[in-house]
Amino acid sequence: MSIKHHKRLLSVENFSFGYDSDKDHILKNLSFTIHQQETILLIGPSGSGKSSLSLCLNGLYPEGIEGNARGDIFYNGTALSHFKKGEINQEIGVVFQDPESQFCMVTVENELAFTLENIKTPREEMSGKIDDILHAVGLTEEKHRPIHELSGGKKQKVALASVLLLNPKLLILDEPTANLDPASRFELIELIYSLKKERKFSLFIIEHQLDDYLHMVDRVIALSRNGNILLEGTPEDVFYNEADLLKAEGVHLPRIVETVLDLHDGKVDETNRPLSETSLVAWMDATGETMIPSRKNSPPSDQRANELGEVLSLNHVSLARGKQSILKEMNLSLSSGELIAIVGKNGAGKSTLLQGMSGLLKPKSGSRLLLNKKYEAWSEREMRQVMGYVFQNPEHQLITDTVYDELAFGMKLNGVDQDQIEHNVTRLLQRFHLTAHKWSNPFALSGGQKRRLSVATMLAETPRVLLFDEPTFGQDAQTTAELMNMIQTFQHQGTAIVFVTHDMDLVDAYCERVYVVGDGTVVFNGQPDELWERPDIVQEAKLRLPFRVRINQLLENTKQQGAERAHANIH
Amino acid sequence: MLTSINPTMKAFAVLIPALLLAVTYDPLTPSIYLVFTILVTFLFSKVAFKRWLVIFSPFLLLAVSFAWMTMLHPSEAFSGGDVLFSIWSFQVTSESFWAGISLGLRSLSFAALSLLFILTTDSTKFMLSLMQQCKLPPKLTFGILAGYRFLPTFRYELQVLRQAHRIRGVGRARGMKERLHQFRRYAIPLLANAIRKAERVALAMESKGFTGEPNRTHYHEMTIHKRDWVFVSVFFVMFFVSVFLSYQLGFLNIFGKQF
Repeated sequence: MSIKHHKRLLSVENFSFGYDSDKDHILKNLSFTIHQQETILLIGPSGSGKSSLSLCLNGLYPEGIEGNARGDIFYNGTALSHFKKGEINQEIGVVFQDPESQFCMVTVENELAFTLENIKTPREEMSGKIDDILHAVGLTEEKHRPIHELSGGKKQKVALASVLLLNPKLLILDEPTANLDPASRFELIELIYSLKKERKFSLFIIEHQLDDYLHMVDRVIALSRNGNILLEGTPEDVFYNEADLLKAEGVHLPRIVETVLDLHDGKVDETNRPLSETSLVAWMDATGETMIPSRKNSPPSDQRANELGEVLSLNHVSLARGKQSILKEMNLSLSSGELIAIVGKNGAGKSTLLQGMSGLLKPKSGSRLLLNKKYEAWSEREMRQVMGYVFQNPEHQLITDTVYDELAFGMKLNGVDQDQIEHNVTRLLQRFHLTAHKWSNPFALSGGQKRRLSVATMLAETPRVLLFDEPTFGQDAQTTAELMNMIQTFQHQGTAIVFVTHDMDLVDAYCERVYVVGDGTVVFNGQPDELWERPDIVQEAKLRLPFRVRINQLLENTKQQGAERAHANIH
Repeated sequence: MLTSINPTMKAFAVLIPALLLAVTYDPLTPSIYLVFTILVTFLFSKVAFKRWLVIFSPFLLLAVSFAWMTMLHPSEAFSGGDVLFSIWSFQVTSESFWAGISLGLRSLSFAALSLLFILTTDSTKFMLSLMQQCKLPPKLTFGILAGYRFLPTFRYELQVLRQAHRIRGVGRARGMKERLHQFRRYAIPLLANAIRKAERVALAMESKGFTGEPNRTHYHEMTIHKRDWVFVSVFFVMFFVSVFLSYQLGFLNIFGKQF
């Protein structure tokens, strides 16, 4: 790459950072350089300090908090601490993960004006600049709309636009696509890529899902669990040579790399290491691979045959929030031991549907059956014993002061005797790797631990139905794998499982049936493989084909074209 | 139109007469001002009568109860006059009766004035105007604006929290002790989230170059026009007109002193 010849923009030298002076640093002795126009991808397991690093890079930390830092960060040769307040922020911009908490004004126009006012742009120039940037990110129509009414994808575009108004030389992306539906996610990444080509800023990307960014990355930096730099190098070297090391740290490998390594048992030719979907397809074509096999791992059918009774059904159910009708005439049926996914674009009503199924939200009309008994005939307590619900934010479900009490809470409520409680809690603690934290405060656990605990609290007794609202959201590779493992174990035991998700690869790998919610009703209900054959629905619901299917389709096209060309050559 | 009046000037036009009204103890002065305020509200803005009434009615109830309390428990200064009627052991004299009516009418005037301001003022513009006209520090004004955006989120989160607890089998709280305990359970996650969100917004604002220093340019220049001065003057003049009218009719009473 020619990037190496560009000037240094930012250099980090022996930098350490921690929140508490009496505890260990969470980032330890980091040294690296970002050159002009370079794109760097920062990876690492949850809790390795990636976000903290991004805030240190643009000078918000350690000044904004009582943190303590050692070492230096230089921007164009000047230490960050020598810049005046606000000055460095004009050179280095950040787009954050959560679209809900990045704005301080009500409308798009005013939010953009806020940025321009901060840098003292003369008033006469503001209108023109606002219109230009709105055009660049494709939000001209939304200029006067309140931000809170926009979809998640558009909110992130507003955040991007307002940062770009500063004309930064370096743009930091702190997982800006994590909350978006698959299509919006892809769109935002493409937009960032084209803006980068046009405006020539450097990019520093923090991500868990790597594939879509891979083709634009010059260099990868991997942080270890302890906050050291684990690896640094070109994406080819880092991902292809050090795959085992990364996996051991709990980092997601790009699926492109995983596919190549899987197909060739870890042995790859140094000269041809694909990093984009097109190059992967070319590689597969050249090496004679025919397809990526489906990795569906559903339980053996003989074991399930005798269990396939219906446990839950919705008939002509209409759901509303206040006066606003969200879903109309829904029909849904769920059998014992089944794993189904609910998908659809942001705001389609997926969570509303889940709440209708859980009995938390009463429908306007229609009837619901749980274990062949009407919902209305169930007492609250009995219903909660046979049905669990795991919320998106695990903190919402934590109600006691220790992990032990949290697990024992349901059993105490149901009058289980003390010995039995002791025994069950110990078993749950072991199963969910929480034994060491038995007496910790639930709020003090890490993100992944909180998630595990919130699932564990639902399992005092084996429930017949388990509902999950985006269970893998914001989790690293290891937590995701652990969680899906657990979910499958319940499935084997005959529990029916429903989850809401944006992750189509998850749907492809685990689900037997998928419901697509859109336009206030179910627009598709069937096997995932059938859904992948319906591009109209996939597009309308802002979904995206899973990686496996995308590659296989591309490969087929390539082969067909090759065959046609060969055919033409003969004649 | 009321919406186009400079918010800071409008606040003055509403606040000063309200304070002055507080010292008029007769019933006529506040009634004249009340009628004037209501007339201005409906003649110069697009506020729907029904919506106004819905918000105004609780104040009506409040005013009636104020008046009633004053009639039954008058201070020494207003207990003179003939006894008009008595309830149980309470005797309502003519002076205490009129003092009560006056207090009720004053409360209603306050309410009407506040509504006139609230229903015709955009919160963003009010803050911008406070910053530009009253030189309030930007840290404070943008802080309030950012916080204002969180209010609906808060309500939504409380609702989710209730549902999440219901799933865990936590029933409705009975009795004081349980309720206190429940409040604590809700408060911790709500506060934890609020602090985290506040932190995030602050970081986002700073990363967009916000430093809090007052020296900044303004996209919406909030200016004071002639019509703003006229508006304020009308509200001031109208106060003195109503005082003069009550004086002429022999009602005027300031701080308990009859004129």
